Amino acid sequence: MVNITIDDKKFEVPEGTTVLNAAREAGIDIPTLCNHPMLTPYGGCRLCLVEVDGFRTLQPSCTLPVINNMVIRTDTPKVRAARKFILNMIFSERNHFCPYCLVSGGDCELQNAAYAEGMTHWDLMPNWEPHLLDASHPYIIIEHNRCILCRRCVRACSELVGNFTLGFEERGAQCTLVADLGVPLGESSCIGCGTCVQVCPTGAMIERWSAYHGLEKDVKRTKTICVGCSVGCGIETISRNNRLVGIDGDWDASVNNGVICDIGRFHPVNDERIRLTMPMMIKNGSRVEVSREEALRSAAEYTKSNKKEQTIAVISTRLPIEALDVFKQLFSAIGILATTLEEGLKTKPIATLADSGRYPTEATLDELSHSDCVMVIGEDITKDHQVTSFFIKRRVPSGLKIISVSSEPVGLKNFSRLHLKINAGSEVEFIQSLINTCKSEKIDEQSKTGIKPDDFQQVVDWLKTSKNPLIMYGQEYFKNKFLDAVEKLTELAEASHAKLISTKGGANSLAASQLGLDQPISLDGVKNVFFVVGDERLSEPVLKKFEKVSNLIVLASYHSPLTDVAQIVLPIQTWLEDEGTYLNVDGRLQKSIRSFEATNQIKSCTDELLSMAEYVGVEIDKNWKTRLTQRRSPVEIDENKMKEIQ
Amino acid sequence: MTTKKITIEPVTRIEGHAKITIRFNEDGSVEHAYLHINEFRGFEKFCEGRLISEMPTITPRICGICPVSHHLGSAKAGDAVLGVVPPRPATLLRELMHMGQVVQSHGMHFFELAGPDLLLGFDADPATRNVVGLIQSNPELALRAVALRKWGQEIIRIVGGRRIHPNFAIPGGVNKALSTVEREEILKGIDDCIATTLTGIQLYLQWAEAHQEDVNKFAVFPSGYLGLVTPENGLELYDGNIRLKDASGKQLECFSAKDYLDYISEHIENWSYLKFPYYKKMGYPAGVYRVGPLGRLNASDKIDTPLAQEEFLRFKALNKGKPVENTLHYHYARLIETLFAIERVRILLDDPDILSTDIYNNRFNFQGEGVGIIEAPRGTLFHHYWAKENGQIIKLNLIVATGNNNWAMCNAVDSVAKTYIHGPEITEGQLNRIEAAVRAHDPCLSCSTHAIGQMPIVIDIRDTNNQLIKQVRRYA
Amino acid sequence: MSKPKVASDWMAGCSGCHMSFLDIDERIVKLVELVDLRSTPITDLKQPDEAGVDVGILEGGINNTANEEVAKLMRSRCKILVAFGDCAVFGGVPALRNFFTIEDSLKRVYKDIESNDAEAIIPSDPELCKPTRVRAVHEVVPVDIFMPGCPPDADIIFYVLSELAQGRMPELKNDKLMWN
Repeated sequence: MVNITIDDKKFEVPEGTTVLNAAREAGIDIPTLCNHPMLTPYGGCRLCLVEVDGFRTLQPSCTLPVINNMVIRTDTPKVRAARKFILNMIFSERNHFCPYCLVSGGDCELQNAAYAEGMTHWDLMPNWEPHLLDASHPYIIIEHNRCILCRRCVRACSELVGNFTLGFEERGAQCTLVADLGVPLGESSCIGCGTCVQVCPTGAMIERWSAYHGLEKDVKRTKTICVGCSVGCGIETISRNNRLVGIDGDWDASVNNGVICDIGRFHPVNDERIRLTMPMMIKNGSRVEVSREEALRSAAEYTKSNKKEQTIAVISTRLPIEALDVFKQLFSAIGILATTLEEGLKTKPIATLADSGRYPTEATLDELSHSDCVMVIGEDITKDHQVTSFFIKRRVPSGLKIISVSSEPVGLKNFSRLHLKINAGSEVEFIQSLINTCKSEKIDEQSKTGIKPDDFQQVVDWLKTSKNPLIMYGQEYFKNKFLDAVEKLTELAEASHAKLISTKGGANSLAASQLGLDQPISLDGVKNVFFVVGDERLSEPVLKKFEKVSNLIVLASYHSPLTDVAQIVLPIQTWLEDEGTYLNVDGRLQKSIRSFEATNQIKSCTDELLSMAEYVGVEIDKNWKTRLTQRRSPVEIDENKMKEIQ
Repeated sequence: MTTKKITIEPVTRIEGHAKITIRFNEDGSVEHAYLHINEFRGFEKFCEGRLISEMPTITPRICGICPVSHHLGSAKAGDAVLGVVPPRPATLLRELMHMGQVVQSHGMHFFELAGPDLLLGFDADPATRNVVGLIQSNPELALRAVALRKWGQEIIRIVGGRRIHPNFAIPGGVNKALSTVEREEILKGIDDCIATTLTGIQLYLQWAEAHQEDVNKFAVFPSGYLGLVTPENGLELYDGNIRLKDASGKQLECFSAKDYLDYISEHIENWSYLKFPYYKKMGYPAGVYRVGPLGRLNASDKIDTPLAQEEFLRFKALNKGKPVENTLHYHYARLIETLFAIERVRILLDDPDILSTDIYNNRFNFQGEGVGIIEAPRGTLFHHYWAKENGQIIKLNLIVATGNNNWAMCNAVDSVAKTYIHGPEITEGQLNRIEAAVRAHDPCLSCSTHAIGQMPIVIDIRDTNNQLIKQVRRYA
Repeated sequence: MSKPKVASDWMAGCSGCHMSFLDIDERIVKLVELVDLRSTPITDLKQPDEAGVDVGILEGGINNTANEEVAKLMRSRCKILVAFGDCAVFGGVPALRNFFTIEDSLKRVYKDIESNDAEAIIPSDPELCKPTRVRAVHEVVPVDIFMPGCPPDADIIFYVLSELAQGRMPELKNDKLMWN
């Protein structure tokens, strides 16, 4: 511990604390611009300058570690004059048009800093040299006239996301933000995650779809989780007048600590689909609006009266556990096959092994932050489960060895210490060869994989000598050999002392698997499908597959080609209007919180399924927790969280 | 006798910068009077490269009296460029804000800008011939006038968050819905505002009757007339087709905004920064037309709200059904429109969709080019944008409201000068009348040159060798 | 003591600041008891009194030769000069023209625009002023009080004028300081 004096008051702070943080702990606010709690200090803006006894010049408090007996003054005339001068310099450097800027009037940290210093004008005027407006990217616009060169975006892009796209070029007045080696952002390696926009203190970084929809004082923020994939990142939805206007990562969420991907941040705001507003049925050949009761009653009759073997029930994994559980109970009670759109492909083999006790408990995602070696196989995690790739890529500067294995190029390739291009379809053989290498057994030179023994040896050496080696895998490239793959990976994990992480799939894939909603879908001889689409965006192959079904009953939020041909259509709430529990890839149980109320008296999926059950005459038990853990899971399901959740 | 030139600088109680020069013949009669609009800002150049989403907040800075016109016109142009149709509730809310603006702008103009001439007299002492003089001579009326403008401004603030330069309309719709409480607040003021407007109408009609001679000789001339209309040719201020009538009242054209370049051209004179729009097919100056209240009421065949329609019939009767040509009747037309706007507010607030939260449509179908039109208080406003698919403006054209009236104002100035000035001695009252000719059009010269200005009146009397003979200055 | 004399004028602005002044609504009655409004764009006196006024208020930046004259005249005839609104304080939205040359701006508007007819010319009559680079008021004449805002809120305007009317210098900070 170190003793210091700030503004004539004495404090004791841990060694290594910066003067800025020490002051903040003590309740003394030193203004900053380039500083950000989630990023390493930069000391670029100089707004945090303070007087320190014994130092000849003013010191940046954000980068200065405390020294025993340091005497600091944060509010002297010299400090105040420096702040005003610095702000003046910043305003004169580029072209700041407060009148029409989208963050002006409360949301601009630069403007607020000027207000705090009582600045009514700048003495130094800009030379009005125009800077670039880069609108080449579909989501992120860079207005260089407003950039204050604080470098937050550069640091976010490297330290938090690990994409290293943004940087600075040139010096002095020519110093400027660039993407890659100076290309338009839309043509760069930018992956569109938008973390740069979230940290930007001014209106330099603009979110195209959220611009001018409202300032912080106009909007409502709700902490919830993203249901785009199994990671379940913590997010804050930003809404106004019952509409989503933006999404930010939640810095306080322990899963992701604030980073989210473009699918989580931008896709929901940019959703162009048309909402379903009224229940509908086909009567006498034409589609008519009906009451909710009529739709439910008809759906119930339909489900009861039709031949069981000709009927299946399908649900989306974007829906909460509460809905999945009612769904399973309802259709099991009637004897109808119930499954998810994923058909258990990504989870069933793992679940089977885990249940029989032959699968090691998986590592959790935060273990990626103290692992020295990660091998990724079976999926391009920079496309699906992007945020997991952030955790990996950002550790490249600290020496993490990344091994990526795939038959086609994957996003991790350029970040990998070793990228192994294997022959398509030889994934399982690859793992076997690794196992053999671990056991010092001979590998076939003419291996089906096309990989040389030296490379296998390298991989094994790294896995065996690294701290906390991890093998991350998904199902996609393994195709129909996933069960073999999982068995082999289990063997490999044991042989190399590595832990496994499987990406699983959608938001509630793991929960669906635990509840037994994991059968494959065969439409042979199937005439009737009870399809809970929810707000999922159905792919072309899926649409084509189900369009031919003669009798469709669809519960969905949006219009689609399926709802156009369905017998009965019932609108349900979207994920923003609904609430429920999600089981993420790590085994965390998280609650998705409603961002705003549904209009038109549209009900949640869970409520509609419960009403259906009433009409059908099935009694539903609401205690899904017991069913969630009735089989052993590949990850440890957080017992404490289970107790918390009602 | 030497040829003389007289300069009036600035024209006051108008929005913007204007300068009048009057040239005299040998015999002392007025040869020609010119209205020089003396400022140029260049919005049509410096908005290049900006984002479509920024335009509704940049363009209102063209004018602080009618920023809402530009704000909404710009959003409509953005709608057209992006190929998006805002949901009905958004259109209702935009129109509601627009009606608030019409009321505040027209109300302010009649009572506070033009009013002093009518209520205190053209020849009244310039030191008190203004809104302050009105407050002192008729405080009750002045306060009602303030309340009328305030109600209009409050509508803008309630609907959009701020009175001047609100951030509300965006391409695709608007960003804020109306709450029940807010709706009630606006409803409360309607009756008083109708009463004040009717008082204004009464005042004007009384004045007009007492000054028949002036009304009939003060800048009375033929022209075309242009304004937005409903499908049944009723008065429209927010949306619709553009209708052009000739001097006799016959319809020449009725076209959609996007086709305006086929019908409207702009002429440029060397002595004014403000251009002169005219009807292409008739050439310049035969094809000139008037806009704003007089132009719009002449271009329409009816008004769809009862109180305004009643006054409209009286207005139409002024020239037995033919277009009303008297410049001073702009003031009457202006008040009739104010009535219409207030009645529209009630209709809009009673619409079941006015409280809806379905206010934004993000389904774009990029067109690349689009025109947004709206009737600003002073006339038809055109925002024409060409944009790249990344959202940046490539180029733009703005034909702004008052600009359409440029020829008419110049002609009015010339006409009044010739009517009222006959000799080398010029009274302050005569000069004020010439200014009043400009004032009647309620010009928004900031808008029209996409810039403004104003200067004091100095009259230089020079001989043919441009030697200064005499200087008459006008200020207390 | 007689009421302080106040004069105002507008230059390369949009008149929004003066409209925000009128947004003091009924308080204008109180204000005219405190101050003597002399020449303003909405009153008929054309220039600030030759004998001088106490407070001069300028809205708008300076973007042509005529504005330069207006600014210099007001400065020479007032004791306290107020730069009123963002345009006067730093140039405001019209300063976007500084990204382009004046020649290009004139050419676009008076020659190239799609609605111009065939005889389009760039106006150059000697009666007209010449456009210049857009500048803040304080780049041309010394300013005593800066009132930023686009426009500044009516409450702020009323506060500033009442303070000046009572012989005090206004302090613009916290809720009285805005640039938007």
